[in-house]
Amino acid sequence: MNNQETQKLRNLLKQRQWGPAIELLRKTDPSSAADFFLSEPYDEQRALFHAMPMDMAASLIVHLPYYHAYVLLHSLPSQEMRAVVEAMTPGERNHFLDALPEEAWQCLMDELAEAGTGAPYCAVTDTDAGAATTEFAPPVVDTEPIIQARQIEKSYQQPDGRQIQVIAPVDFSVEPNTIIALLGPSGSGKSTLLRILSGLAAPSAGEVLWHGQPMHGCRPNVAIVFQSFALFPWLTVLENVEAPLLARGITHFERHRKALRALASVGLHGFESAYPKELSGGMKQRVGFARALAVEPEILFMDEPFSALDVLTAENLRGELLELWLAKKVPTKSIFIVTHNIEEAVLLADRIIVLGRNPAKIRADFRVPLQHPRDRKSAAFVLYVDYIYKVMTQPQLELAPPSKTEHKEKAAAQMLPHSRPGGIGGLLELLDDRGGEEDMYHIAEELLLEIDDLLPILDAATLLGFATVHEGDVRITEKGRAFAQADIPTRKILFREAVLAHVSLLQQIQSALEKKTNHTMPVEFFRDLLDERFAQVEVEHQIETALNWGRYAELFTYDAEDDTVHLHQPDHRGDNSPESASLH
Amino acid sequence: MASETQKTSSGTMTWGTIPPNVPSLLRDLPILLAALALFYAILSMTHYWLSPVGPPMEIHLEPSALPRYAMFSVLRIAAAYVVSLAFTLVYGYVAAYNTRAEKFMVPLLDTLQSIPVLSFLPAVMVAMVGLFPTKQLGVELGSILLIFTGQVWNMTFSFYSSLKSIPPEMREVAEIYRWSWWQRFTQMELPYSIIGLVWNSMMSVAGGWFFLMACEMFTLGDRDLRLPGLGSYLQTAANVGNTRAIWWGMAVMIGIIVVIDQLVWRPVIAWAEKFKFEQVESTDAPTSPVLDLLRSSRILPYFSRLTVRPAREFLSLHFAQRHAAVGAGRVSRGIYHWLTRLMLAALLAGICYESVKMVMLLTHLTRDELRSIFLGAGATFLRVAFTLFLAGLWTIPVGILIGLKPKLSAIAQPIAQVAASVPATALFPIILLVLIRAGGGLGIGSIMLLLLGTQWYILFNVIAGAIAIPTDLKEVCSVFRFGRTERWRELLLPGIFPFLITGFVTASGGAWNASIVAEYFKFRGHTYLTTGLGAVISNATDTGNTRVLLAATILMAAMVVTINRLVWRRLYQLASTRFRLEN
Repeated sequence: MNNQETQKLRNLLKQRQWGPAIELLRKTDPSSAADFFLSEPYDEQRALFHAMPMDMAASLIVHLPYYHAYVLLHSLPSQEMRAVVEAMTPGERNHFLDALPEEAWQCLMDELAEAGTGAPYCAVTDTDAGAATTEFAPPVVDTEPIIQARQIEKSYQQPDGRQIQVIAPVDFSVEPNTIIALLGPSGSGKSTLLRILSGLAAPSAGEVLWHGQPMHGCRPNVAIVFQSFALFPWLTVLENVEAPLLARGITHFERHRKALRALASVGLHGFESAYPKELSGGMKQRVGFARALAVEPEILFMDEPFSALDVLTAENLRGELLELWLAKKVPTKSIFIVTHNIEEAVLLADRIIVLGRNPAKIRADFRVPLQHPRDRKSAAFVLYVDYIYKVMTQPQLELAPPSKTEHKEKAAAQMLPHSRPGGIGGLLELLDDRGGEEDMYHIAEELLLEIDDLLPILDAATLLGFATVHEGDVRITEKGRAFAQADIPTRKILFREAVLAHVSLLQQIQSALEKKTNHTMPVEFFRDLLDERFAQVEVEHQIETALNWGRYAELFTYDAEDDTVHLHQPDHRGDNSPESASLH
Repeated sequence: MASETQKTSSGTMTWGTIPPNVPSLLRDLPILLAALALFYAILSMTHYWLSPVGPPMEIHLEPSALPRYAMFSVLRIAAAYVVSLAFTLVYGYVAAYNTRAEKFMVPLLDTLQSIPVLSFLPAVMVAMVGLFPTKQLGVELGSILLIFTGQVWNMTFSFYSSLKSIPPEMREVAEIYRWSWWQRFTQMELPYSIIGLVWNSMMSVAGGWFFLMACEMFTLGDRDLRLPGLGSYLQTAANVGNTRAIWWGMAVMIGIIVVIDQLVWRPVIAWAEKFKFEQVESTDAPTSPVLDLLRSSRILPYFSRLTVRPAREFLSLHFAQRHAAVGAGRVSRGIYHWLTRLMLAALLAGICYESVKMVMLLTHLTRDELRSIFLGAGATFLRVAFTLFLAGLWTIPVGILIGLKPKLSAIAQPIAQVAASVPATALFPIILLVLIRAGGGLGIGSIMLLLLGTQWYILFNVIAGAIAIPTDLKEVCSVFRFGRTERWRELLLPGIFPFLITGFVTASGGAWNASIVAEYFKFRGHTYLTTGLGAVISNATDTGNTRVLLAATILMAAMVVTINRLVWRRLYQLASTRFRLEN
């Protein structure tokens, strides 16, 4: 589809002439029609979709991402939904249904079966077509982005002058009236990106525009809510909230009034003269919110604002924030939230961006058109959570274990996930109990683990050949099953075999130790090796994990005092095994 | 404003040591009296300062002269402290924020810190007396500057390292909300560093008392300079051997130190509690009745409402507006840039010139002088090492015993604190008196003096370390029936190790510095001295032998810095890695 046609289509949509627009769409090939379709605001997508004939809707929908297709389908009355599904070719229908996670699939099946008899009960809130037509939000006029990032990247200089890139060139913009969630595994540069967008840090290359002007030089009106609250313990709650207002030169009376209003809006009325240390974590974060809201920022940045709170408090605070936002009581145009909690992102955000790491690049950027308040148990919600798990486990597939024939350089660039043998064992045991296969989403729920904690364990299990991940499903391998069922000495042997087969760093350490006559090497040597590939902090992580694994596998012993590794002598092992056997 | 009054009123109710039915005037009376006394003191001090220089002042030994002398000494130390604080704020600030300056300012500070007070004496005195040749002010300023050189370095270090350790999120808050320079300073940097500053201020002022005798009365070549003060009173009393006067002087000094501790430091510490960087309220915060009195006062809030608060408001808004204006359009700093470069170049040239002169001066050293300097250095090194050994020998068992028994430490700690606050120099005449009667000499006396001055640092740290040993580890020892030796070797000694090292580092620095007064003492018209670097320095100051003074000072600074780098820093590293008790 060329530019002219796109423009023409847009104009037709703006004038709400669905008929001619559909005619035009029909002439273009389905995949570029789908691209165009996705680029439009969700409300227009829906209106257009509703106006389409069934066969066309069916051929369009199979070209959309399955999660989006699912939500769009549910915006139709159940009869029509059934008709659209039936209009798909059998191949397309199977393909679509296969992609759905179990809950969503089950729900859809039930709905299709009951389509004739009653209203669907699966809770996608805008299933009712009658309501859907009246629900149309007025077309948003102000869609000029507030922040535009153009090809920004960030790299750090190593002490020896090498550059380590942490954020690959990224383009994106923050538009008004949205909550954007930035998701990513830990160490993926989320916080760095937030600091670049908020003007706290400068990108190494590229530029950030604030209302079309370069960020450098203008003074963007933004606020940040920090994970650690970052309150000043020597200032009272009121003084903490007043401090940013004072910096803007607002006089005493006005300052006081604004601060009190902000405090009241987060429910802290009556706590003005308390000191932060007298408050609970949730209350402290409320002060953090009040301080941010008091300056009436255009964009409210939040850096994992709920991570330091317990589950219930976090849930409560999230709900209140959402309530303030939906009731338009927050004086901000947009909210940009960095998180590693997938459910939190799906619960809050209108748009979700998923970052990959090393260096950070955007892996997915999509809208979540579900209506607020969202139900965590609803099929559509689960659909999005599941999809994000899929996206986030994808990059690890590229990190397949190096085979022996592979190029040496690539083998050296392998990155060890920071996990412990104990965690790997625990995951494999769980998988084994569950019959060998499980959804990532369920595992995280079962173990009460955040994606941040779960991903490294999973990566380690796949790296060692104990498990495989496919589209968000984890499957245990034969070796993994053997490991899960083994006793401690056997586990160590299996682990040693796996490590020597798959982990290049440990292979290097092992062969270096074997070659030396005294079987001893300084760890500094391996640190230098890694220095060329990783930033300094990461090198430490790598070494720590390697030592941990190597000691568990009884490849070598480590002397913390001299910082050396020493080849594990078989007679030592003889000493150890009765001990570990007795433990078992 | 509403919250402010609310705070004070609630303060009265919870602290409640002062009965609420006492009339307000009576409660404010001490505060008013204190203000008047201060005013009078400053008035008489200025009057004396501006008087012309006469012949060497007579120091009267009647007890009736003591109040005036005491007042002069207190004001002198206070003035030196104010100068130290100002220097600390400026130097620490520049060192922390100017990365280029930081590179040489921090090592410079490290070196200056290891130079003994008396080595500064000739330079400071000549400069000051030259500045005001006809007024007493010159000598007086010299003395104040001398006390300053003994007080300032650790305060500056503390402030600098506090600034460097402000959490990054806090800085980001200040940055994102565009705090002005002033707001950053008053609401973030100063509050964050205040606790470190308070404790170091206490140590500095204690150091001021320690060296008071040396700083108030000295000979500079052929000039005999003395200032009216408690230090010179004690020195004179010792010179003529007037035991009664020594006792009087000591009593007054100890009295003043205790009073200052109660009236100034305790309240300040209790007040500084609010700046503790913690997220949870601690259970036993230090309290002070004097602070309660100040907090319950009605005059002070009234006074503050009239003056401090409007001033604060005005300054904050003024700097906020200026910050906004500057941010909008950056002024070109070309001229400033050139000016600083020019000044730096001049400074560098000056340093080069002085270094050359210094080296030339050092080449004049005779063989005998060199021998005495190196011999002295060896002797002082052994003396300091022996002192530390002795101090460790008794403080480690006693400190652990006290620390392990909460009841005992509740009694012993305050006593030890008072004992520690008494400057060892004041006790020196008495110790010497006893030793001379018993037939000992300054050899033992100097070690005793060093011990008196430095053992407290170790004792306090050992007590703190023993208190900090986790209960569960102690229970492990009981459960597995550890014997006495095993218990000490496996738990107690490793447990206090980091604290012990901290104590030893402070004690070692203090001992080197104190060797100057410990190895050379004038008593009953007789100069007692023993072999040592401190004695060499003191003697060189007295006789005005600049080259020996310079050489000995350089050697001492070099030795202190080297020992710090080679021994203490490594042990510190070990303490913070292997012997750290993590929870």
